[in-house]
Amino acid sequence: MDFDMIARYAPLLLQGLWATIYITALASVIAIGLGLAVSLLNATPFRAMRWLCRIYIEAMRGTPILIILFIIYYGGPSIGFTFDAEPTGIIGLGIYGGGYFAEIFRAGFQSIPEGHIEAAQMLGIPKSRIITRIKIPQMLTLIIPPVTNQVILLLKESAVLSIITVAELTKNTTGMVAETFAVVEPYVIVALLYWAVVESISFLGRYLERKISYA
Amino acid sequence: MDFIRIITNHYDALLTGAMMTALISGISICLGMVLGLNLAFGLISKHWPIQRFCAGYRSLLRGTPMLVQLFIVFYLLPKIGLDVPSIVAAIIALTMNTTAFQAEIYRGGLLTIPPGQVEAARMLGIKTQTIRIRIIIPQLFRLVLPSLVNETIAILKNSSLISVIAVTELMRTGQQIVAVTFRPLEVYIIAAGIYLTMNISLAKLGSFAEGRLAIGTRS
Amino acid sequence: MPDRNVNINEDVVAEPDVVIKTEGLQKNFGELRVLNEIDLEIRKSEVVCIIGPSGSGKSTLLRCIAFLEEYSEGRVFIEGKLLGYKVVHGTLVRESQSNINKVRRNVGMVFQQFNLWPHMTVLRNVTDALRVVKKMDRREAERIGLETLRKVGMEDKARYYPAQISGGQQQRAAIARALAMKPNVMLVDEPTSALDPELVGEVLQVIQDLASEGMTMAIVSHEMGFAANVADRVLFLDEGRIVEHGDPAQIFKNPQSQRLIQFLDTWKSREL
Repeated sequence: MDFDMIARYAPLLLQGLWATIYITALASVIAIGLGLAVSLLNATPFRAMRWLCRIYIEAMRGTPILIILFIIYYGGPSIGFTFDAEPTGIIGLGIYGGGYFAEIFRAGFQSIPEGHIEAAQMLGIPKSRIITRIKIPQMLTLIIPPVTNQVILLLKESAVLSIITVAELTKNTTGMVAETFAVVEPYVIVALLYWAVVESISFLGRYLERKISYA
Repeated sequence: MDFIRIITNHYDALLTGAMMTALISGISICLGMVLGLNLAFGLISKHWPIQRFCAGYRSLLRGTPMLVQLFIVFYLLPKIGLDVPSIVAAIIALTMNTTAFQAEIYRGGLLTIPPGQVEAARMLGIKTQTIRIRIIIPQLFRLVLPSLVNETIAILKNSSLISVIAVTELMRTGQQIVAVTFRPLEVYIIAAGIYLTMNISLAKLGSFAEGRLAIGTRS
Repeated sequence: MPDRNVNINEDVVAEPDVVIKTEGLQKNFGELRVLNEIDLEIRKSEVVCIIGPSGSGKSTLLRCIAFLEEYSEGRVFIEGKLLGYKVVHGTLVRESQSNINKVRRNVGMVFQQFNLWPHMTVLRNVTDALRVVKKMDRREAERIGLETLRKVGMEDKARYYPAQISGGQQQRAAIARALAMKPNVMLVDEPTSALDPELVGEVLQVIQDLASEGMTMAIVSHEMGFAANVADRVLFLDEGRIVEHGDPAQIFKNPQSQRLIQFLDTWKSREL
């Protein structure tokens, strides 16, 4: 364990860690927004729209993130999309995650007891209000665990962005390895860093759950 | 858009790549099943050191990126004297990863089996190992099949990462075809399509199996 | 762990007739004392019914005798052999699983929730232990299995799965499963409490038949009429202690203790 080496590369690794965190955060925002939109569109009465949503969701859940990134990063230019690695990575991760979040929201909407909605209808509350005042608040509590889970998944998948040269944590580690020839230690340290972030997100999720639940 | 031309010119490479992906994923999943079951029993063990160790393994393997795990295994093995081909390192890394996820799936299932069934078996004098094999595990698979199918799909997707340690599976095959055709968009879309096909087939197979297994349990 | 400082008599309990014996049996759940100083003896061919209010520890007592739960103090003897622990230099040490199984070999148990294995047919439920523990071949095991099922009236359902038969049928199958191993004593834990009322009778009939054939039994039950008919002795348990015991006539017609009188009163008022 060469502590000098670690000290020298600490800034690089921390920079990478920061990049990983904000990339994941941005991608999560995109993914949640996209997922919510798709899940609402999927509930419309238009069969074509539902069909499109279904295709999107299944495509994201059935394809590796690496290919999606490659399609956008290497294939994009041939149809006019030329982005830098980092924006590509964020957008790619966001689109990928959107499919998963759409499923989470769908399941969330479905698991609200029908009785609650019927009670609201009987009291004469209009449909739009039912959505905003009953469905969405209830759904929020139900979905905190899967949403937390999915954000953690996106964090872990963000490591794949290193393959399209995005300077996040894994890429910086690979850079460190190339310079120092110490192969195992850097990755182990970095693994622990990821692990620490993952555990923090889990912890945050459980805390949120407790604060929001009525128990 | 030369989709058709690319497919006809390179379909044998694509097929080989796809089979390699399927093979590597399959081996990892099967090994993961055996190890995962054992880990699951370790997770519910009353023997504190065992439980803690298993929980630690699960936490680490589920809480770190697959890519990083792959690098660690790939670079660590030669250092401890195991100079194995990339494909073996890939299988080891994938197996270690899926073991942790499968263990959690099995653990969830184990908790839903009524303890009374185990008690009845104990009173009849059946040994613990036999109880696990004849009574717990057969029920377990019916219970966890959906989650297991999801995990299989996840491993299949994760296998694309092993392209970075130069294993010629589907992803790497795609890269090689791109190097020849200079058509990244089409090639990668085709590769994506192949992954999608495999995964959707798996999901359908899973539903079918679920249906068949439910026959004995009409309640 | 049982009290290590009490002087343990290393001699095996000498009376050959006593199938189950407990001495000073105690079970604590943390602060709560669930079983307190239980001393009982059950002799060959005796049927002992254990009654009492909810939470009195009846099921716990049976489960401790079965060693499905570890007891905190005291000792349990099955056919004269100490169950669950062995004496090492004068103190009690927990036994290995295989030795526990050996002492417990001739004890059969029937559970409130039946606990049939859902992925096996009724016949396989009955024969599995015969094949795996007694190492019988399939033909022999099935012969004994079908014979036992015939005894409880379940022979025609042998190839059915538990989910396809009624609760009463499941319980009878569970009784057959325990019987097939030819136990010397049966522990029966609230056999009908999980059953719809109209299914209770068929199960009680099977148990009654077993009793009249001379099977040694310890039965925990809420069915007072059944206890009055079948039992040789009745134990009334309340808050972990045996408050009163005697033959059914004494217990039901002539209760002595206040608790028992109260308990029987609530029962009479329920039996409208």
